Amino acid sequence: MAAPVRHRHRWRRRLGALARFVGALALVGGIYTAFAPGIYADEPKQNFDKLAAEGKELFDNSCVSCHGKNAEGVKGRGPSLIGVGGAAVEFQVNSGRMPMAKQEAQAERKEAVFTPEQAEALAAFIQKLGGGPEAPDKKWLADAVANADVASGGELFRVNCASCHGFATGGGALSSGKYAPSLRDVPTDQIYEAMLTGPQNMPVFADNQLSAEQKAEVIAYIEYLNNDRDPGGPFTLGRFGPSTEGLAIFLVGITTLALATLWIAGKS
Amino acid sequence: MKRRKFDMKQLPGKIGGELDDRFKLAKPARSLMTKVFPDHWSFLLGEIALFSFIVLLLTGTFLALFFEPSMVEVHYHGSYIPLKGLEMSKAYESTLHISFDVRGGLVIRQMHHWAALLFVAAILVHMGRVFFTGAFRKPRETNWVIGAILFILAFFEGLMGYSIPDDGLSGTGLRIMSGITESVPVIGTWANNLLFGGSGYPGDVIVTRFYIMHVLLIPGILLALIGIHVGLVFAQKHSQWPGPGRTEHNVVGFRMFPNYVSKQGGFFMLVFAVIALMGGLFQINPIWLFGPYEASVVSSASQPDYYVLFLEGLVRLFPSWEIHLWGFTLPAVFWPAVIGMGVAFTVPIFYPFIERRFTKDSAHHNLLQRPRDNPTRTGVGAMVTSIFLITTISGTNDVIADKFNISLNAMTWAGRIGIVVVPVISFYIAHRICLGLQQHDREVLSHGIETGILRRDAQGRFYEVHQPLGAPDEHGHVELEYNGWVVPKKMNKVGALAPAIKGFFKPIEQPRDAEPPAVEGEEPKKEVGAGKS
Amino acid sequence: MTDKHNSPDEPVDVTDPKLTKFDIVKEGLRRDGIEILHYEPAFPKPNTPEERRVERFIALCFVIAGLGALGFVVVYAFWPWHYSYGQASTMSKWYTPMLGLCLTLALGGLGIGILTWAKKLLPKEELVQDRHDGGSSEADRVIAGATVSTVLDDTGIRRRPLLRRALLFGAAPLGLAAIAPIGALIKPPGDSYYHTGFDAKKYNDGKPVRLMLKDGTELKPSMVAVGGQVTCFPSIPDGATNKHAESPTLLIHLRDDDAAETRKNAFSQYKDAQWNNFVAHSKICTHVGCPASLYEQQTNRLLCPCHQSQFQVTDNAKPVFGPATRALPQLPIDVDDEGFFYATSDYLVPVGPAFWEREA
Repeated sequence: MAAPVRHRHRWRRRLGALARFVGALALVGGIYTAFAPGIYADEPKQNFDKLAAEGKELFDNSCVSCHGKNAEGVKGRGPSLIGVGGAAVEFQVNSGRMPMAKQEAQAERKEAVFTPEQAEALAAFIQKLGGGPEAPDKKWLADAVANADVASGGELFRVNCASCHGFATGGGALSSGKYAPSLRDVPTDQIYEAMLTGPQNMPVFADNQLSAEQKAEVIAYIEYLNNDRDPGGPFTLGRFGPSTEGLAIFLVGITTLALATLWIAGKS
Repeated sequence: MKRRKFDMKQLPGKIGGELDDRFKLAKPARSLMTKVFPDHWSFLLGEIALFSFIVLLLTGTFLALFFEPSMVEVHYHGSYIPLKGLEMSKAYESTLHISFDVRGGLVIRQMHHWAALLFVAAILVHMGRVFFTGAFRKPRETNWVIGAILFILAFFEGLMGYSIPDDGLSGTGLRIMSGITESVPVIGTWANNLLFGGSGYPGDVIVTRFYIMHVLLIPGILLALIGIHVGLVFAQKHSQWPGPGRTEHNVVGFRMFPNYVSKQGGFFMLVFAVIALMGGLFQINPIWLFGPYEASVVSSASQPDYYVLFLEGLVRLFPSWEIHLWGFTLPAVFWPAVIGMGVAFTVPIFYPFIERRFTKDSAHHNLLQRPRDNPTRTGVGAMVTSIFLITTISGTNDVIADKFNISLNAMTWAGRIGIVVVPVISFYIAHRICLGLQQHDREVLSHGIETGILRRDAQGRFYEVHQPLGAPDEHGHVELEYNGWVVPKKMNKVGALAPAIKGFFKPIEQPRDAEPPAVEGEEPKKEVGAGKS
Repeated sequence: MTDKHNSPDEPVDVTDPKLTKFDIVKEGLRRDGIEILHYEPAFPKPNTPEERRVERFIALCFVIAGLGALGFVVVYAFWPWHYSYGQASTMSKWYTPMLGLCLTLALGGLGIGILTWAKKLLPKEELVQDRHDGGSSEADRVIAGATVSTVLDDTGIRRRPLLRRALLFGAAPLGLAAIAPIGALIKPPGDSYYHTGFDAKKYNDGKPVRLMLKDGTELKPSMVAVGGQVTCFPSIPDGATNKHAESPTLLIHLRDDDAAETRKNAFSQYKDAQWNNFVAHSKICTHVGCPASLYEQQTNRLLCPCHQSQFQVTDNAKPVFGPATRALPQLPIDVDDEGFFYATSDYLVPVGPAFWEREA
């Protein structure tokens, strides 16, 4: 009989906390509004604040258990999100990695739980909390990728990305069960956000190292490889290189010809 | 003067006569055409290698018309957009040129690479056949030795072919070759300089040097040795399986003409067709994805072609045991790469002589052995096969780890433990299976075939009726000697029941065609009925 | 099981007009030690429906082969073949597959046709031939031995030791002379194993060598974010090319606590090698020389993709797994007055795989 009671207690406590928080926010907001009325004229800022508030609501429902009440992190469960920036949030949420299904070495890409709009709201909330790298403007990115120099992107890809993700963007193994995921079918903005923020074990490629335009070039190259049909035949053997080619010569070549020898030498 | 009438029908005879006048061909030609060859599917595996070699020569010649083995830096201005304007070696540029800007160049390049993989695969399978059937025994040791050398040459020929396009993957392979060369005690750095031209790795001569070895030196030796290899098979006459009428002193089969030659010709076309199919439909070595070789660039899943994977795997599995002696260093990689390769290449050469030391068998052997009849050799073969498989799998363990969600470190440890444990188990299991099969053969020979008919004796015990394969002596025992060939184990094999209907997926012969043939041979037939036994 | 009854020893007079062609062939076989065990036409009764069915099938195979070959020529000449970017609807993407398929039809049709002909239409035969192996007769061996021996006697090599030795002296150096030109390939290793492009004296007139990106941009601390890494090269002419294949270096920007740990763990000679939270290690694996550049920014591990050696950056890039024995050499770095990274010295130990002369 005790459990439900405790349950109600927790709920009440949470509701109380929320009410107090909203109250405090309202108070702070009110004071802020009173002292800085000019800000209201700024339309995008107003939208941003609205978005961030929406994001906070989502955060409190879905993220708070691992990342803590004010995204300050919970030891052993989830890192602090202060300063990670909106780009990281949008990458993790849109690629379905967050929320995580269970605690494991590496979060996997899966079906996204939130809509892109919700992800944007969450990103706005985190952005507002501590700043950090922001997600790229979608239209700018699309334009930049469309006009990027693919060859230059290829050079950057091979020296910076191929070591983990492979020459053919198929991904690869890292130490002790970790891996670099495949880049096929990854939306361009997520590739951009990943470079910018360095999710999980991926190194960060900040704008000073790989400028926004260079990132667009890398993305253009990845897109080119992923969308260009291989000229060497319909069976690409996963572009894994010599290992699957070796498998194919035995499974297709030797098997076919061994069956042929059975037929040739068989009694007719 | 009367004009002589020209008679088409006389022409072949006339040509033959003129040729014989000069070359005395009548007798050798006749002997050649009627030479008898035994027929068995396993005798055709070596031909796959021979025929792929011919395809390699044909396609390789085409590629050589366009390939430029030079490491001079140029800028790419070909059709493939993502490499446009980049600096690269002439070798890589001309390989791209073959792939994108030579009409039909890509299909020939892919056929060349597939034919190379098939060449080595067929050599391996053929070697396995010769090994497991004991075909390397006297008088054929020489041909085994030549065959083993052919494998080594094919290995290096392939490795060099993989290296000369100077793409990102082949350059990584070259760097590993350089590292392995450096690991040789005393002469390592000198040997490395000898290979790469003296100005350090990669220098600017390695592609040129490998090219001349790849297109002239090694193919020349390969061609000569293949000639001797096939010539010796011809001169010593092919070995054959035991069977009715077959002895150590004869060869049973069909004549070279027309039967053997037409089958060989047809099979050559099939091998060529399979290579063409793979060259057209299966993309191989897409060098344009790898980019030009740069010392700072590498890709995950960097691997050599499959026949080098066993060495790659050995190198991956070997622990980090570097030895320091008197101020000198013996790198860890020396053991798996140099010693490992040395053992893998030399021990097979000497296997016939090693086996002979143990068996003390100096007789002539023209009859093959079934693998079960030499359990130790079969066990050794199983052991070597398991080592080859484990090292090959370990050579690609990063791809397996990634695609099957296994920890890379776990894969390495599994390989390290596996290479110690599995060969022993493989030997034991193969040995046991051979003995079991032998025992079953002897059992059937002395007790007969299991008929599936159960009877009950007076005491009420059930027993299965066996169909004896020979007439019993006065004690009711059947004494049939095992003659090294298949013992019939089903009733339809001795003609007591209708033969099994032939066909792969559906019957290709009607049951009425498949009536019991009039079998002539040693096994007498007996009627088996439920009523009498 | 026919035809066992011709007399085994006596040669048949092949000019006898009564003999059939097959009789003559049999006589030839007999002279080669071959006996026919079994010989029968594939279709004893000619023109059965079954025979004609086989014939039609073989003819079909040959026709397919011809069409395939023609198709190959037509595709080769007329199919759009120039590479262009695109999906499956792009015609040129099917050029190679179409060529392969046509060639397969041509060769496969021919092959299957010929093989069916051989299997179904050729007479079914089984012959047995004597092997006659196992060495020559004793007399032949004696004769051969005597011949070789006389040849040697004729030359007198056995009783003329002076000539023997003189010949040896004359011929053996010729063998040496034949292999001597290989000497052109032999070059001493020199000191290239002990220098990289960061050697200021050798490559930069003694001025410290800065770190640069592949495109030539010289590196500043602000260019690499925390948790980031960058492949850099000596800022000398051709520094980023394969002429300096030993020089590629990985500059890593560690987090505060990781950097502190790295500093704490540093080998004594590397106490000053680290600049703030930045460390630079050779990218060339100490195992066999692949670029060990798979950097995991949370575990601070570097993985080599060739043989899976793993190096712990926070502990001097020492190997923690796999076949590598030695740590990735560290490049001592600092930042100059203009704010650019430079190497305070070349690598302190030889970079890359181990070799015999290398000291521990």
